[in-house]
Formats: sequence, C-alpha cells, structure tokens
Amino acid sequence: MASIQIENARKSYGAVDVLHGIDLNISDGEFIVLVGPSGCGKSTLLRMIAGLEDITSGAISIAGTVVNELQPKDRDIAMVFQSYALYPHMSVAENMSYALALRKTAKEKISDAISGVAEILGLTALLDRRPKALSGGQRQRVAMGRAIVRKPQAFLFDEPLSNLDARLREQMRTEIRKLHRRLGATSVYVTHDQIEAMTMADRIVAMHDGIIQQVGSPVEIYDRPANIFVASFIGSPAMNFLEGSYEIADATTAGIRLSDGALISVLPVADAKPGQAITLGARPEHISIVADAQSGGLPAKVELIEPMGLSTLVHVTLAGKPIKIFTMDRPDYPVDSFIHIAFDMAKIHVFDTASEKRLPPANAAGILT
Amino acid sequence: MNTGTQTGKLPVERRGGFSRKFSGIIEPYLYVSPALVLIIAVMLMPLILGLSYAFRDIRILNPFSGGFVGTAHFEALISDQAFLDALANTAWWTFGSLLFQFGLGLVLALLLNRQFLGRRLVQALVFLPWAVPTFLSGLNWAWMFNPVVGPLPHWMTSLGLMAEPFNILSDPDLAMWGPIIANIWFGIPFFAITLLAALQSIPKELYEAASIDGATTRQQFISITLPFLAPTIAITLMLRTIWIANFADLIVVMTNGGPADSTQIVASYIFTQAFRRLDFGYASAIAAVLLVLLLAYALSVIALRRAMTHTDS
Repeated sequence: MASIQIENARKSYGAVDVLHGIDLNISDGEFIVLVGPSGCGKSTLLRMIAGLEDITSGAISIAGTVVNELQPKDRDIAMVFQSYALYPHMSVAENMSYALALRKTAKEKISDAISGVAEILGLTALLDRRPKALSGGQRQRVAMGRAIVRKPQAFLFDEPLSNLDARLREQMRTEIRKLHRRLGATSVYVTHDQIEAMTMADRIVAMHDGIIQQVGSPVEIYDRPANIFVASFIGSPAMNFLEGSYEIADATTAGIRLSDGALISVLPVADAKPGQAITLGARPEHISIVADAQSGGLPAKVELIEPMGLSTLVHVTLAGKPIKIFTMDRPDYPVDSFIHIAFDMAKIHVFDTASEKRLPPANAAGILT
Repeated sequence: MNTGTQTGKLPVERRGGFSRKFSGIIEPYLYVSPALVLIIAVMLMPLILGLSYAFRDIRILNPFSGGFVGTAHFEALISDQAFLDALANTAWWTFGSLLFQFGLGLVLALLLNRQFLGRRLVQALVFLPWAVPTFLSGLNWAWMFNPVVGPLPHWMTSLGLMAEPFNILSDPDLAMWGPIIANIWFGIPFFAITLLAALQSIPKELYEAASIDGATTRQQFISITLPFLAPTIAITLMLRTIWIANFADLIVVMTNGGPADSTQIVASYIFTQAFRRLDFGYASAIAAVLLVLLLAYALSVIALRRAMTHTDS
C-alpha cells in the first residue's frame, strides 16, 4: 500500500489543455473518489496515474517514487475498467492469474492466491468459465479479482459500476467499500455518479473543466460546497438557485432581494457589499411549506407533485425560477395553485454571482461555515 | 333446409381444404423458385455439364468426338507427367504466394493499425493493386522482370543477387518466382484489409489492462492480438488458398506456363488443355480432380477449425 502525490500535473492534447495543474495528496489506505461531469478530466487524471496517458508537465509519485517515466507495469498498480476489459479467450482463473504468470510466480502460489480471492468474491464456482458465460455482475467481480490477486500498491477504478443495473450497482458499492476496509488498499475511484461519490469516498475530489473544484469528506462537500458548480453537482435532487442582490438589515440578519421584489433572509456574510449580485442556494430539504405569508412564507406556484415513495418532491416556481421542495408529508396541492414556502435561514448558501464562490456566514458560532 | 345446405356445402369445403393444403405445400417453393431456377441454371447445370465432359471425348476440332469414354481421361491423368508436375507446381505456387501474402499482409495491417499522419490516405492506397486488372498487372510485372525494359534485374544485379541482369521468367528454375512475386503484390491488400478490420475490433482496454498486468508488446501480441485474429486468419487463409490454387491469370499472362512447363499449375494446365489444345474432355477431367482436391482441403480445414473451437468451449 502506498500514498500517491500529484503535483501540478497538467495534460494537453496539442493546443487543448485537459488538466490545468492538479495538486492532490492521497494518503496511504485512503479511498478517494474523483467525481465530475463527463469531460472534466477525471478519467484522464486516473489514466495518468496508471501510466496509460503521458503527463504533459508536473509530477505524479506513488510511494514516494516519481512515476512520470515509468511504464504502467512498473508502477505496481491495478486498474478496474468500465468495460471490465477481461481477456475473452481466457477462463476466469486465467484472467486472474495472467499478471502473476507474467511475473513468473510459482504455480502453487498462483493457485493459492486465486482460490483465496475467488473465495472472497464468490467466484469459486466460476473459475473455469469464460467471461462471455458470465453475467455483468460476475464479470465485474472477475475484474476486481484480477486487480486484487496482484496485491498492488494502489487500486484504480474507472467508472467500474456504470454498466450495471441500479440494484446491482448499489450492491457492488457496498461490496467494494467492504473490500476496501478489508484490504486497506489505497484506492482512486472515478465516477460521474455523485451518489457513488457520497456513499463510497473517504474524500471526494470534485472536478470540473480540468480543475479541482473542492476536496473534502462527503459531508463537508455536501454541507459546505466551495462554489456553485460543486453545490449543483453534489446532491440529488439538486440544489435550488435564485439570483438577487445583497441587502443588510442588521447585525444578525441580511437578505437577498429577488427580481420580483421578494426578500429572503440569510445570515450576514463577511465579504458581500449591499447591492452585490448574489446567487442563493437552497437544498430541497431546506425549504419548507408554511401555512401563509404571516409565517414568513413567500407565495409560489405549484407546477408538479412528484411522489418518490419515502418522500415527495414538490416543484414550484418562485420569482420565475423553478424550485424543488423535499417533504416527508404527502401533499396534494392542485397544479397552478399557490402555496407559501420558507427558507431555512441557517442552511442557505450565499454565492457571489460573479466569481461563483461560496461566501461563508460572518458569525460562525453554532452554524455551518 | 338445414341438412340440405350442409350436405350441399360439405364437398365444397372438402375440396377447398384439399386445395388449400396443396397450395400450402407448394407455396414456399413457388416463392423460392425464381432463385432456385437461377441457381440451377447458372451454377448447377454448368457444373454437371462440366463434370459430364470429363467422361466424354470432346475435342472441338474433331467433329466425330463427343462419345462416352468412361474413366479413360482419369486413367490418362495418372500417367500424365505434365499433370503431376503441374500438381507440384500448384502447391509451390499456392503456398509460396500464400505465406508471403499473409505474412506481409499481417505486418501491413499492424502498421496501418497505428496512428500516423496520412493514415487514411495510405489505407486507401493499399487497395490499389486490386484496382488494376490482373491482366495489366501481369503484363507490368513481366516487363519489370525484363532486363531490356524493366528495372528489377538491374537492381538485383546491383544488390549482388544476380551476376548479370537476366530475365528470371526465362529460367526454368526461377521462373515461378516471377508470378509468385506478382501474386504477393496482388494479394497483400486482401490480408491487410481483412486483418486490419479484425485488429480494429479488438477493444483498446484489453491492451491497457495487459500493459498494467505487466505484458510486454510481444506478450500482448501473443495473448491478445493473435487469439482475436485467429478466426479471421483461419477463414482468410482457407479462402485464399482456394482462390490462389484456381488463379491462373498471372501465370498465363507472364509465362504462359513456360519455360518448358516449369510454371504450369493445374489451373493453367486446364486452360492450356481446353483453349490451346481444344481438348475439353481432358480439361474437364483435370478440373474435376482439382475440384475434389480443393473440396477435400476445405472440408479438412473446416473440420480442423470445428475441432479447435470445440476444445475452446
């Protein structure tokens, strides 16, 4: 097991810059998830760690050794591919033993290693089969087994669950986590699925346009997103955004004036001046439906009621913008009727519209910063 | 009234049932009949007719020929030294051409599978030998081997391969290499293009996975590329063997079977017998033997392939 350091790593294809200087320290045994929309550079970064892509500039080191010039096979890493990349003409056992056989490992050692790993992954009965005779989930397991058998310094996962159906994905998610706890191996996991990122990561690295937007634990990223991109990408249903201008009422209260004149109270933020363009962010669970305007509610028009089983999602429009509200109740408002909604002042995020950065509340006592 | 209508209707129904049944049986044959007639007319009939010639004395210049001669042609064949030599030449011609066509075609396919500037243009140019009529390619190659008009003998002399420029097509020991070289040039694109298509269907991740697993380029070639190409290689080699064995155009144009029958293959021998000596009966007998030999070859290759895929699964 080993730590991985990435220092100012850049990647360009000709004149196109894909990664603009990535700095990241992954500690020994950590489970890191690189998350972002497609084209954000997360897979490229992973492939640079693996040695499948050249590093244009900067340095990547594994266990303290700079690996920029090393071939993939000399980096002592294992990778699980989205397509699994199993060798179709080899049996499950041959697939798993290929790397060990190339290293001229003794036959008995190989078969011991394989039976051990097959046991862990429940592949014992399938060892003689060809990949084409396996289901998607089984192939996924074989791909994992092939990685584990080698006992590498680090595991790299490139969207390994994307080709599985939802139920199997959920199951494999927990299995990979359990496996990680058992093996304690440094893992870098690439996904575009923010739920995978939230549920699996020790730390999430949120990426966009070849730049790391934020690094932090899942809860940190969810509760204190660094900017509008992270706030909108993490969380499902996604965060609601409203644009307005900043107003100061007194020492403990500020407000955001929306385009239609409505005022939403927020905690004062340190770095905003009155009149500054602000984007307000509120997660669907931080907006509540209240009885009337007297209770501080703003009138909003109901567009759609979406029952989700456990909860219900109410779609409304406020100041011409669509807003989603999460509720554990079972509301049955008619479409086009008006309801009143209130924002949880302490949980609202204030972003500077120009820089898209989050402006933390000025008085940090007792609330999220 | 009721019974009357029933009895009145019954025979009609029975008749209708019978004709419906009959037309049900005949209908599918009617649908396929145009295709069947076409196949029988253009494929089966000539084949049967050709095979029947093998047992008849058919010489175009002899108006009294045409009678049934039984297996006389085949008996003559066994002791026909020219035919036996042609058989040996066919093997040389076929496998000499095939080996180099395949080897060089594979190398070309591997090269074309790499990224480089102008790759698409080169891929298109590789097809060029096929755009040239075989007749013209044969003439061109014959001229190229001719020291009076062609450069090849002079180049080979400069390289020290020949003591002095001469035409290898006029040397009985070397003449076969002339059409073989022309045939290699002509056949490489087929292997290059089919193998390239097979190469491009190999998922890139397999090579990446193998390179992470620690496989060198050579090991990747052996454990990924070759197994993926194997089915294509088997089928193209088989097809190509049969095509080359039947392919007399280049030989007829370049050497006409000579000098001294040294480049006569079975296919060109058939041509010579049929269209030079105008002995259609004897030529048909040779053709029948070639047909049986190639059929046996194809069946053994298919059986081998089936045995291999059987152990595979």
